[in-house]
Amino acid sequence: MREALREAAVVINNSFVRSWKAGGKQIVGYTCSYVPDEIFHAAGILPYRIRGFGAEETTIGDTYFGPFICSLPKCMLQLIGQGDFDFLDGAVITPGCDSMRRLDDCWRKAGEDYPGIVPGFFFHFGVPHKCTDYTVKWFAEEIRRLIDAVEHYFSLRITEEGLKASIRVYNRGRALLEELEELRIMSEPPFSGTDELAVILAGSAVPRDEYNEMLQEFIEESRSRAGIDGKRRLMLVGSANDDVELIRLIEGDKALVVADNLCFGSRFHLDLVSEEGDPVIALAKRYLSKNECPRMYGQYRARLDILKENIQRAGVEGVILQNIRFCDLHGAENGLFERDLEATGIPCMRIEREYGPLVETGRMKMRIDAFLERIEQRKETA
Amino acid sequence: MRQATREYSFDWMLWATFHAASKLKKGTEKEYRSVLNYIPYFRGIVENVLKLGEPGELFVKMCERYLDNLVHVHERGRKNAITTFCFSPTIFYAMDITPVCMEVMTAFMTLTYKRGTAEFLDYCNEVGFTETSCSSQRGSLGAYLAGVGTDIDMIITDTPGVCDTNANAFSFAAAYLNKPFFQLDMPPVLTGERSNEYHRADYRALISFLEEQTGKKLDIDRLREVLAEYEKQDELINELEDLYRLVPNPLPVPFSLFLYASRFLFAGMKECTELLESMLRSGRENAERGISGLSGGSEKLRAFFCYIDHYTQNLHLWEMLDSLGICYAGNILSRYWAPDAPYVKEFQMQEAAYTIDTATVDTMIDSLALINSRMPMVKSIRGPYDAPNMWLEDTLSLAKMYRVDFIVYNGTPGCRNTWGMLKPFARDTEKAGFPTYIMYADAFDDRVQSWEATRERFEEFLSVRGLLG
Repeated sequence: MREALREAAVVINNSFVRSWKAGGKQIVGYTCSYVPDEIFHAAGILPYRIRGFGAEETTIGDTYFGPFICSLPKCMLQLIGQGDFDFLDGAVITPGCDSMRRLDDCWRKAGEDYPGIVPGFFFHFGVPHKCTDYTVKWFAEEIRRLIDAVEHYFSLRITEEGLKASIRVYNRGRALLEELEELRIMSEPPFSGTDELAVILAGSAVPRDEYNEMLQEFIEESRSRAGIDGKRRLMLVGSANDDVELIRLIEGDKALVVADNLCFGSRFHLDLVSEEGDPVIALAKRYLSKNECPRMYGQYRARLDILKENIQRAGVEGVILQNIRFCDLHGAENGLFERDLEATGIPCMRIEREYGPLVETGRMKMRIDAFLERIEQRKETA
Repeated sequence: MRQATREYSFDWMLWATFHAASKLKKGTEKEYRSVLNYIPYFRGIVENVLKLGEPGELFVKMCERYLDNLVHVHERGRKNAITTFCFSPTIFYAMDITPVCMEVMTAFMTLTYKRGTAEFLDYCNEVGFTETSCSSQRGSLGAYLAGVGTDIDMIITDTPGVCDTNANAFSFAAAYLNKPFFQLDMPPVLTGERSNEYHRADYRALISFLEEQTGKKLDIDRLREVLAEYEKQDELINELEDLYRLVPNPLPVPFSLFLYASRFLFAGMKECTELLESMLRSGRENAERGISGLSGGSEKLRAFFCYIDHYTQNLHLWEMLDSLGICYAGNILSRYWAPDAPYVKEFQMQEAAYTIDTATVDTMIDSLALINSRMPMVKSIRGPYDAPNMWLEDTLSLAKMYRVDFIVYNGTPGCRNTWGMLKPFARDTEKAGFPTYIMYADAFDDRVQSWEATRERFEEFLSVRGLLG
């Protein structure tokens, strides 16, 4: 089971995707956690979170994106241009951030030079930057616009009952991920942060019903496993990371990542969707009220409170605040987190990195080791 | 930051500079010439502006007035709001709030001080704000974060959905300084009832926020007065836009800067109107005589800047264009999408324009919401660049209308929203027949690329493309 989850986490066109396509079914890719998977699930389409994992160069990405742009969408475009995402029947781009929203423009323009890379269904999905009554109303309309477009393009019908059933399936997955989270924060967790990320990543690339079963098995199996002890307990915060190797690098043989506030991480499964009332309104409320991402401006204090709560809950000894270069949303907020968390006695390390192959392994490892030494010394002098 | 920099209030220092500049022409020419020797780092801008006569003097006076309002805001019993260039200040004036436009403050110092805002730019990084963020906000933000500016009462932006680095600067400032924050959010599509309704609802929430912060209700009569003045300014700008279309263009190169600066500083206020009227008088005189606004008198090329200008010391950009005989058809900042604007009428873009209706308080608020949603950058950088009413369509239609010979992009490396698609954008403008030059400089920080290198590369482009002899 662990192997199946790991494969789904580190292989773009994984065996689940291949099997899904072999069954003649469709897959729609999306770029941001503000896109409700439930819509596609209800349509019998596999929602697939597009990633940049595995890109070994950015020659294609650099042709369309400018030089001052985050390397994550560049790596995504690289893979898209190379044909790694040819299995997608559709794509949904959101204004998660400026770099990511421009994937819309660059992908379509790259399609003029690389025929066949733009899927037939291509949708720009707006997401407001705050949660109020009128933004929820607008977002619900946007969800309906997406539903209409999916129904029209794929010639199918998404019923209210179907949507409610999908919400239940995803809520079950979220509840299971919460159980996983409970195991992760134990004093001797039965799996590493590397394993945990692999399990979460798999959830973005595996049919949800199958994933829920695998997740349940993983949790049950984990309950009987011996815990890991004697490691420094870290929290990872900041820009998106879909690379398990980054967590492996951080953990090494001295640390465990026991908590995070990452897009491909615990943020992905927080909060259930209400199963009562109009499902579209319920989806709009749940997805828009997620203020864990700094794209939701003016919510810093709320995010700081979440971090503090999780730090306490997971017994975190140090926080790594990382951002991909040119990711100003996370980079700037990391500066605030560092100021406010250090003031409460929580050691923090800020680091800027590039997305993609771990070309900076030596530099990062050295800084992480120094940070772990700092935590160690702090413990000794406490 | 040097201790010496901390010794002076940032905005007081700027006010004192412009206050002195506004008096320079009050003496004799001999006295003026003598004073220039004592301001070696400021004389470049002073000379370039004041040589334009009355419009130049009014421009300096307008800047001085804006800074005067800011420096004395609290002793005059008012509140201030940090805001952004693409947020129309009309509502602030209608509610007796003093706006502090972050980018304009940065530009003031960049234009007038030898090292520009370098120390404030770096100070932002020292306290945790990213060095990759846009210099247009960082330049003055650093001063307020360091506590060397006027105390700020509230922070307001309208760029979520348009520009992350802009919105993030304001969001960061609010968290760092622990100040009340409000954002106007922009949906990706400009037109249609759904977007209009969203803009209106959001704007009403803004007014509630402002009423809460000031403890005062919106004064309807005052609002009507300000909007009437705004409409009057629209008419003046429309006529100036028509003058831009003439060959030769009778307007001096810096007039574009004057035009958008006046709207950023005093939209809906007499200070802006007075300057626009003076510019128009000067432009009409040149037009009647059939002469170019260029100081050399001969128009060799016509240029359109599809984004912003380059603000480093002494109006270098404007001086360069003028000396090369390049008539300047303005940039994205000087277009507001008034219903009778020449570019609206020429291309039947009425749906993209706002309307002003002063009949009731509701129609006035709706008008303000639409005005704001059509502000530079907010209007056309929100959706995919090649979507209707967005950047490519605007750029090509303006370039055609002003019969320009080439298009120039200049911004800052912090501009994620344009650098994210600038290459395909430029490919499209080239395909449409406009040689397009992408400047890799930073509009507000010439440590990124010196002005000398910027100019050399600009001239190299003109030469390589065979545009200038």
